[in-house]
Amino acid sequence: MTLWGIAWGYLWNRKFTTFLTILSVALAVALISSVLTLREETRKRFEEEGQAFDLVVGAKGSPLQLVLSSVYFMDNPTGNIPWSVYEQIKNDKEYVQSAYPIALGDNYQGFRIVGTEVTLFQHKWVSPITGEERFPFKLKEGTFFEKPFDAVLGALVARETGLNIGDTFVSSHGFIKLPEMLGGHDHEQHPYTVVGIFDYSNSPFDRAIFTSVNSVWDIHAEHHEEEHGTQEEGDIKYEEWGKDPSSMITSVLVQLQSPALRFQYREMIRESTVAMSATPVEEISKLFEQFLGTAKTVLLAVGYLVVIISALSIMIGLYLAIIQRRRDLAIMRALGASRIEIFGSVLIEALWVTALGILLGYFIGGGISRIVGYYLSQKYGLSITSLIITSEHITSFATVAVVGLLAGIIPAWQAYKRNIARDLMEL
Amino acid sequence: MVRVENCFLKLGPKTSFYCEKFYAPPKSKIALWGPSGCGKSTLLNLISGLLKPEKGKVIVNGVEITSLSESKLDHFRGENIGFVFQTFNLLPPFTALQNVVLGMRFSDTIPASEWKKNAKYLLNYVGLGNRLYNKPSQLSVGEQQRVAIARAVANKQKLLVADEPTGSLDPKTADSVMELLLKLCNEQGLTLLLVTHDRNIAERLPQIYDCSNLVHEEVVA
Repeated sequence: MTLWGIAWGYLWNRKFTTFLTILSVALAVALISSVLTLREETRKRFEEEGQAFDLVVGAKGSPLQLVLSSVYFMDNPTGNIPWSVYEQIKNDKEYVQSAYPIALGDNYQGFRIVGTEVTLFQHKWVSPITGEERFPFKLKEGTFFEKPFDAVLGALVARETGLNIGDTFVSSHGFIKLPEMLGGHDHEQHPYTVVGIFDYSNSPFDRAIFTSVNSVWDIHAEHHEEEHGTQEEGDIKYEEWGKDPSSMITSVLVQLQSPALRFQYREMIRESTVAMSATPVEEISKLFEQFLGTAKTVLLAVGYLVVIISALSIMIGLYLAIIQRRRDLAIMRALGASRIEIFGSVLIEALWVTALGILLGYFIGGGISRIVGYYLSQKYGLSITSLIITSEHITSFATVAVVGLLAGIIPAWQAYKRNIARDLMEL
Repeated sequence: MVRVENCFLKLGPKTSFYCEKFYAPPKSKIALWGPSGCGKSTLLNLISGLLKPEKGKVIVNGVEITSLSESKLDHFRGENIGFVFQTFNLLPPFTALQNVVLGMRFSDTIPASEWKKNAKYLLNYVGLGNRLYNKPSQLSVGEQQRVAIARAVANKQKLLVADEPTGSLDPKTADSVMELLLKLCNEQGLTLLLVTHDRNIAERLPQIYDCSNLVHEEVVA
């Protein structure tokens, strides 16, 4: 029978309070673990998807907004750029391996309709995270779009809307579904027909509906004539739509001959066009460092606060337990146990509680990450792994273990310095 | 086996313990008898090293335990002295078998590989071979005392100290526990020091040491 066994025996003897103490540690660890997991996994997934393209070229404004709107379909676009920019980039074979136009404007049930060219569906890249080739545009059924108002659905769109090959649907103006009183309206004159459905790719493309650029513009040229009549300054040149429907687009996704050319080509875009460019992976890194870094710090601070509260509950629980079983400790001393062994057995109880709390908390954290991950995959098409171990996890778990041990020191010291003769005589 | 010489210990602001001389030869069985508060338990605690005298010597098995460091004393106690208390002898979370194993856990007398075998043998000896895996709460008070007796000799100790071992038992159970203690001491050649306030229990042992004059009130002039 080891000291570990003796400590475990006493913990098991007061199962309910032990369980509650373990649970309090576990909840703190779960919070910390899930924050670390979600941050790390979302960062990795965002960066992985961000590596799909070297640059995004779009209207001048916030580079992050441009990246979020054109690569992750999450924010409003910064504006529009002339089609000629796309042509210029596409033909720049010295620097550019491939370029794809993106035209945004409508949604269907909140899913964005992305006007592009079918060449996008041949796009592949190597994931820097897994080292595997990423190819998100595998058709599950049907074909790519060929005619105006043909639509190919991302896997999530097909699942959520229930649309199948041959079904038709009407898009709504804007990037989110708005009620009519807030300006939302449908383009009922131009229904789309589903001609293809992509397989799941665990990427933002799962949440998009792809169609030709012309389809997007045909709708908006007519819509603009009906609703607005004139061009707004710095906005789309609406009057050109009818004459040349391919005149304006939201952005261009660019794959360069080498990632090393990113900086140089960005400068070239800045100097030679009216547009600006952004590197998705850089913008996402900044987003995580500047904005989400603060959120992470706040959540971790809450987590560690709960750890301290849990440590106090470990300390109080053990302290009371030591008072209750001072007779037992005295008997152990009478049987030959040294003060150090008594100290150690109490400290081991704290360690058991902390270790089990960390283990349970890690799995509860995994559960939380799984639930949030499910939401992220539904909302943003980002698939994350819920159970991971990073150096940050190890550091935080080690911190919790040390705090748990420190919480055990005071009760252990109380046990260490007890007067055995008095304890044996008192009861 | 046990020798106490001129042991002095202050018990309170106006009370002190003093034992000029006590001697228990090997294999002796002595009742430390006296009324409550007379100092008999204090004498037993001094002999077992649970208390340290301010003056005087306690020699057990040829070792002057009053000069041992605390860690050496812990070790010595585990290997040489077996304890039976009046009540709450056993550790509640553990089975009878584990409680007896605990008696061997803190000393090196019995190799770890033999702890279970030895504990089972002793529990059989005290008539509890069928209660090995029962916890204290599942045992009667008399059975708990038997487990405590088994544990007290688990390290083959030669000195058994018992503080009111029958104090919480009904007469019939007390009688059987006393029989077991005496049988064990006779068969294994143990020295027994038994604290009791009950004259009938004390008279069952060959020798009685009267503890009535061990605690002294200081007279304030």
